Amino acid sequence: MPVTYHSLTLQMAIGSQTLFLNQSVNPFRNVKRRGESSRDENTLLVPRATARPLWSGVSDFLSISPSPPWIPTSSTFCFSLLPSFISLSMVTEGDTRSLESVPDLEKSMYKIVDGYPCVRLLNLSGEIGCSNPGREKFLYKVPKLSDDSKFAKNVVGVLIESGSESQMKLKGFSPVEKFPQAEFAPYRSINYEWNPIGSGIMWKSYNFPIFLLSQSGTMTLQEVASKNENNKKSYTADVAEFDLVMQTTKSGTHDSESCLKEGTCLPLGGYRGSVWSSLPPINVSSDQSKPVILTVASMDSASFFRDKSFGADSPISGLISLMAAVDALSHLDGLNDLSKQLVFLVFTGEAWGYLGSRRFLLELDLHSEFVKGIDSTLIEMVVEIGSVGKVFNGVKTFFAHVAGVSSVSNETLNALQQAKDSLKSENIMISTANSSNPGIPPSSLMSFFRKNSSTSGIVLEDFDATFANQFYHSHLDDLSNVNSSAIVAAASLVARTLYILASDDKDSSTSALSAINVNASLVEALLGCLLNCDPGLSCELVKNYITPRTNCPSNYVGVLLEEPSATPYPGYVSDVSRFIWNFLADRTSISKENAASACPKDCRNEGEVCIGAELDGKGVCVISTTRYVPAYSTRLMVDKSGIWKVMAVNSSDSMEDPVWTESNWDALGLRVYTVQNAAYDRLVLLGGLAVTLLAYLAILVSRAFIIKVLKQD
Amino acid sequence: MTVIAGIGYALIALGPSLSLFVSVVSQKPFLILTVLSSTLLWLISLIVLSGVWRAFLPLKTTAWWPYAILIITSIAFQEGLRLLFWKVYKYVEIMGRLEDILDAFADKVSKPRLFLTDKMQIALAGGLGHGVAHAVFFCLSLLTPAFGRATFFVDRCSQLPFFLVSALIALAFVTIHTFSMVIAFNGYAEGNKMDQIFVPVVHMVAGMVTLINLASGGCVIGIPLLYFFAMLTLMHCGKMVWRRLTETRSRQSGS
Repeated sequence: MPVTYHSLTLQMAIGSQTLFLNQSVNPFRNVKRRGESSRDENTLLVPRATARPLWSGVSDFLSISPSPPWIPTSSTFCFSLLPSFISLSMVTEGDTRSLESVPDLEKSMYKIVDGYPCVRLLNLSGEIGCSNPGREKFLYKVPKLSDDSKFAKNVVGVLIESGSESQMKLKGFSPVEKFPQAEFAPYRSINYEWNPIGSGIMWKSYNFPIFLLSQSGTMTLQEVASKNENNKKSYTADVAEFDLVMQTTKSGTHDSESCLKEGTCLPLGGYRGSVWSSLPPINVSSDQSKPVILTVASMDSASFFRDKSFGADSPISGLISLMAAVDALSHLDGLNDLSKQLVFLVFTGEAWGYLGSRRFLLELDLHSEFVKGIDSTLIEMVVEIGSVGKVFNGVKTFFAHVAGVSSVSNETLNALQQAKDSLKSENIMISTANSSNPGIPPSSLMSFFRKNSSTSGIVLEDFDATFANQFYHSHLDDLSNVNSSAIVAAASLVARTLYILASDDKDSSTSALSAINVNASLVEALLGCLLNCDPGLSCELVKNYITPRTNCPSNYVGVLLEEPSATPYPGYVSDVSRFIWNFLADRTSISKENAASACPKDCRNEGEVCIGAELDGKGVCVISTTRYVPAYSTRLMVDKSGIWKVMAVNSSDSMEDPVWTESNWDALGLRVYTVQNAAYDRLVLLGGLAVTLLAYLAILVSRAFIIKVLKQD
Repeated sequence: MTVIAGIGYALIALGPSLSLFVSVVSQKPFLILTVLSSTLLWLISLIVLSGVWRAFLPLKTTAWWPYAILIITSIAFQEGLRLLFWKVYKYVEIMGRLEDILDAFADKVSKPRLFLTDKMQIALAGGLGHGVAHAVFFCLSLLTPAFGRATFFVDRCSQLPFFLVSALIALAFVTIHTFSMVIAFNGYAEGNKMDQIFVPVVHMVAGMVTLINLASGGCVIGIPLLYFFAMLTLMHCGKMVWRRLTETRSRQSGS
């Protein structure tokens, strides 16, 4: 994440530090750079004098009242470095947490409120998301909870509490549009509602900070509000300090083109974002002319709050399905005898203008080294695994959405049926999508289709006419929103279907198919790693390949921290990308003839990759065709001076590209503390000056007196 | 704008010391040296004490008596050190060096009464050094957060901000230390047992009085009580100085 600027704060504290960094659990805090809202949640609004429009959908409001000041909970502090006459030593009942140093004292003074921020994102025509309105952090008194919609107009900040989960989950919530990314659809009916729950609030721009409070953050703030009741001092007030200063707001650049020119934002994407792998590895030296079957999934999601977007059903369930299918297929023998080449592709950036798929297609056209081994003319079929995490009434029904009608698609549908039959399970159903649908649902296949309308492809989803996922692209699309058995079923289907498609018809006997089994415990492990914070990316499966930087997987695509032409720096590649690369490389690999040599030093031959290069000395050199592909907008390029430029539109593909960027920011956070009146401060200063002057006068008087006494001689 | 408050707290704790320094100490270089060496000595004493007590700290206890032991031992050590300070001063005096220094230091032909006030000034400077060391160590070192935006109240003394309480207590102790040294030096010089005992006793009692702050709401009683002792010290010192000066004067006029 860019750390290219520092927020201008008028804070003149000597020794006051911003303490909301370096807390390991919450993702937005362990990166210096750097994110359960529904109509039924309570929200805390802090009003201001000037009126502002308020977005609809928020039903409960709080008003400010001249709240009695609040005193923070204090803890024991005994200054243990001070041996003699401890001048002030206070003990609270029960809690013997002692303050042992000045930094401890500061930590008690400033209570960090755990939360996920909503940041400012920009595109070519404007901006969305949230930001502090000005250049500095601002503070407002924390109000009592009450219902007063009169104040709805005067909003300066929104804090969303994590309410009870069951209440939220009843209705469903999706902050994106009703037809997400409709501009990329290869068909005309863009008024069709794939996502009827979609409210579109994510797509609006807000000039005040919005934070989603975590459970602990909610409790902290509720403590604050309840202490309000008990407090009688008029010269102190409790405030919440919002730090959501966005560089684009400060510099006045309000769309992608200007902010990229000024350097106040960075484009979304990743230099090594998407991953593809071939099973079995491609022998580049030999002449490959096998037709290619692409299996596609995506790894990124989006949400109103940048750091809380697991994207469990959409699209991670598809990703896990793909990984499990690769695992199942990798145990087969005779993969080299398949008549078609299987290539597995995981895109990132799909939620923000299909960055991964469109860039991949561009790289294919350019025959760049990222896609060496794939000939775009040989791609016969594209199978995309979309959201596959839902079970209805115990039956796992999957729908195949077909792009165009062709013999190849029919062949695939037959293969799917055959695969399903071979699974011999009553609970798995597969059917073609309703023909009254206007076409394929929002998916990476749309990019393929727009590029070449004769592409054959199907998208496997758990829904037919509208999304089954009630929390599409929201922070509530988490582990509880998916069913692992559905993912296992989808993976089995896909694995067997691919085998059927890739081998000649004669070979797809039932016995061969029954050897393809998906490891359900692998699916469970992947769910725990990719959709949970505990164990999260510290799970064993991930740690076998990489050293993760964070625990909580954030499936947000992130920004491009480096230029595409530079030598790639592994530090900028996201944990999930690195994990997927290593996983796929491992599963599709063939071991080298000689013993595995130390990686990455001795692993430079053609076709060789080093798995687990990050684990000190435990890297394994194997033969595998697994590569990273950049994922960023096809309309962006870097000029000689390292500045991103938006190129003119030169193909029909780029026309709709909104070129998403994210504003630079320094630190994001929310903290609460008590402040004194300025009047009280002045009183203290006056007191100090008075004491000093009085002492001076007293000394002068005594001295004169003593001299007088001595002179009476 | 709590830089204002921070400066205010610092002035409350150290303002009178500053006044004393500016009006009395800074006139005579020797006194400045005395203040500095005294400050250094007391800071070293605190470091030694913290070294000794390091093994037992932090005191994770809600009982008050471990703090009492801490205070008693520390004050006992410091009073011992005060005696040592006196002995060093006497040594310097006995070796005759003090005469030379005082010659340079007195701006008139030395007369007994100037000699007396000069000695008192040295004692005062020594006490000031002690007081400043106390204030810096126990109050100023904690004051950096006071310059930030937030303030802090402690559960058990919620009437005043923590920094203010800290500054007030520091001021009381500065007063006690500064004038105690004058009383003590005079007591050792005269052999006056009353004065010699007065100082350690007041110091110890004042130290123990701070334990009252451990109780909830205790600082409402503790701080005024502390100031009572500070006033007591100040008045006793004043009485003693008056007595000595009038004695000298009567001796002068009598002879």
